[in-house]
Amino acid sequence: MGRTKEKQHRRKVRLTTADHVFNIIVDVFMVFILIAILIPLWSTVTLSFRPIDFIGSNLRGMFLPPWEWSTKAYEGLFANDGFLSAFANSFKILVGGVACALVLTIPMAYVLSVQSLPGRRIINMIVIIPYVFNVGMIPAYLLVKDIGLINSLPAVFLPGAISTYNCIIMRQFFVGIPMELKESARIDGCTELQVMFRIILPLSKAIVMTIGLFYAVSFWNDFFHAMLYLNDSYLNPLPIFLRNILIGSGMNENLEVTAFAESPINAIKAASVFMSAIPMVIAYPFIQKYFTKGTLLGSVKG
Amino acid sequence: MKKALSLLMAMLITASIFAAGAKEPAAAQAAGTPEDPVTIDLWFGAAITEAGMIPEDWIGYDILRNEHGIDLKLTMLPSSESDQDMKIQAAGAGNALPDLFMVRRPVLENLVNQGLVAQVDDCFEKMPVRTAQQYDADSIRNSSFDGHAYGFASPGAIAKNEGLLIRKDWLDNLGLAVPTTLDELTEVLRAFTFDDPNGNGIDDTYGYGAFVETDASLKGYPGSRLWPIMGAFGVEGLWCFDAPNQGLSIFKPEFYDFMVYLKGICDEGLIDPNWLSYKKDDFRAAWKQGRFGVMYEQNAAYASESNYAPFDMNFPDGEWIIIDAITGPDGHAAIGAYDMNYRIYAVSQKAADAGKLDKICELLEWMSSDEGYYLLGWGQEGVNFVFDENGTPVAGDLGDNAFTGSKGQVYTQLRNMVFYNSDVELASRYPTYTTAVSGKEMSALAALRQMQGMKWTSGVGSGTLPTPSADVQRYYDQSLAEFLSGSRALTPENWQAFLDQFKAIGGADWNAEGIAAMEAAGLVRGE
Repeated sequence: MGRTKEKQHRRKVRLTTADHVFNIIVDVFMVFILIAILIPLWSTVTLSFRPIDFIGSNLRGMFLPPWEWSTKAYEGLFANDGFLSAFANSFKILVGGVACALVLTIPMAYVLSVQSLPGRRIINMIVIIPYVFNVGMIPAYLLVKDIGLINSLPAVFLPGAISTYNCIIMRQFFVGIPMELKESARIDGCTELQVMFRIILPLSKAIVMTIGLFYAVSFWNDFFHAMLYLNDSYLNPLPIFLRNILIGSGMNENLEVTAFAESPINAIKAASVFMSAIPMVIAYPFIQKYFTKGTLLGSVKG
Repeated sequence: MKKALSLLMAMLITASIFAAGAKEPAAAQAAGTPEDPVTIDLWFGAAITEAGMIPEDWIGYDILRNEHGIDLKLTMLPSSESDQDMKIQAAGAGNALPDLFMVRRPVLENLVNQGLVAQVDDCFEKMPVRTAQQYDADSIRNSSFDGHAYGFASPGAIAKNEGLLIRKDWLDNLGLAVPTTLDELTEVLRAFTFDDPNGNGIDDTYGYGAFVETDASLKGYPGSRLWPIMGAFGVEGLWCFDAPNQGLSIFKPEFYDFMVYLKGICDEGLIDPNWLSYKKDDFRAAWKQGRFGVMYEQNAAYASESNYAPFDMNFPDGEWIIIDAITGPDGHAAIGAYDMNYRIYAVSQKAADAGKLDKICELLEWMSSDEGYYLLGWGQEGVNFVFDENGTPVAGDLGDNAFTGSKGQVYTQLRNMVFYNSDVELASRYPTYTTAVSGKEMSALAALRQMQGMKWTSGVGSGTLPTPSADVQRYYDQSLAEFLSGSRALTPENWQAFLDQFKAIGGADWNAEGIAAMEAAGLVRGE
């Protein structure tokens, strides 16, 4: 019913010339943005399929017909044990990290959203202070070392398992859930934990998925912590492997021997960048509906 | 509530005091026998970081354990120097430095100041073979502070491995001779730009090709790719070591003359106009596509098989030749400036305190023995390499297991710890080959030898001189770029104004510190 009304209302609105001009400008601008995003993306994809004997400009390479493409870069990448183990390590960090982060962030955000919590202001301060004043690399390193996490995968995700920013977003969402729902659950005999699990969480799918995606992207891309805390090369995740290809290959310019002798190194670089983006590209459409809802929550008042 | 919080705070403080007071139990000293080996934790710079770690079945582990009582634990450092620095500094701050680790000199200096690195003055005589191969007076000075060595500086990248190249086929097409003076070079650049040297009837060529390749110690802006021209004015290299002009080259009047010349060829269109925006890969793609006829390039980037192949395919009749330095108006001539590059390995004070220094010397000496040298450099004979008739290790028919193959190359990840640019290494690294299309005989080694024989200016010690702050560096680079791009007029007044401002924001201090360091290290020539 509501939708039909909305449609009728839309039909009634007559656009003025100024509206049309404005819409055209917006459309042109959006097309421009689309092209600006598509060109580097297409350039990376085509570069990854460029054959070793290709000679020509980048522009020509971008329009190389698909039957002249070569899969050598991908073959080289998949034949490299380092790539597969790095992919597996990244996946472990992703799963372990997102699970840990959500398990820790949800209760933390819920507790902070409870208005009657004793010392709520002080606890809020304690949460926000490290967000404003970063402790820095060395104290974080000392902490990770002292709790014995050096050279283990949890070192990559445990120190960042609760992001203050994500926690505050989630807290705001929980604050917006009507108090009456929680009170009626309590009257029915629910404990606080039961309120959280049985009432709050089922209503919070959008924010949990959104924050989960935030965490997933940050853990998947995290290079710095892995570089700092992991010594064993077999534990290296994909961002380290990628960086080694991107930087290491350039350092061997005076050598005939490289890890990927059968493929042009630029194709290998592009293929590895493309491959590392794929998991997030696949995951995003499934989470998009929650993501859009989750990011809009709290943005409209009244 | 307040009471509960106070109690909580008190508990936290007490717990942290106890935690801080707790000491790690001291490990018992290992005997250094196969049964009770000494563990040496080594963080090294891998030869091919993207290829992966040395496999656990590497025979070197067994040799070290069974014959030397050493249990070697290897960690590959990240590929970028800044990442390496960060990892080492974090480990240093956490007193978690490994026993032996590769480190850059500025970071080493910090660690030395903090007392985290062991003095190794007495170690050289315990490693006679390795010291003879790798550690001369220059190298020891490179890892020394206040007269004491705090690391082992091994030779790094080959020095003087770049040269000035010119398209001989273009010279022949236009009936020109190889230029020897700056005036002749200008004429050649003009002809290459305007007289259709490739004969295709299209205006698609330039005289000179370059890109901006700089660093904070040797290659000052506009970078080493312009060195042959800077050499003609005597301002190649960021620093001048010749008295009475010692200091930053930019303060020499000749630097302004060079800028005027360079601006002139830019304005006339004799240099590929993309040179200010080119990256290394773009530049290399450009010469392979025949965009320009004069360039400054590295021996292997020019002449090794895979790098030369695209040019060979594009221009079977094309030919680059290496020429000597161009003589400038005042008789200056230099291909460029060179420094000796070193890879420093340092021993942590913690390892020395644990009595591991002797075992570390034993490890390094073994690496430089015949057994260690070939094992680390090329792998196992018969498995990863074979000797050819000249005694050079080659891949032979060993396929993927060869040191050049995808499976074999990981066994040579430690090779930078033993290589010292010997003839065997270079012959193995740069084999002579016949090009696929034109059938030319090429050798990156022959190119290297020819390049090394040209006129070079010594900049040895540049790497030990102070580096500028980011603001000073930015001002230096940006101002020169503005002069060259025309956004600031290149006039004597503007140049002087730039120098005055540069001095005021920290350039004068940088120059003074550099001169003091030069003089302290005895690097100034002609005093």
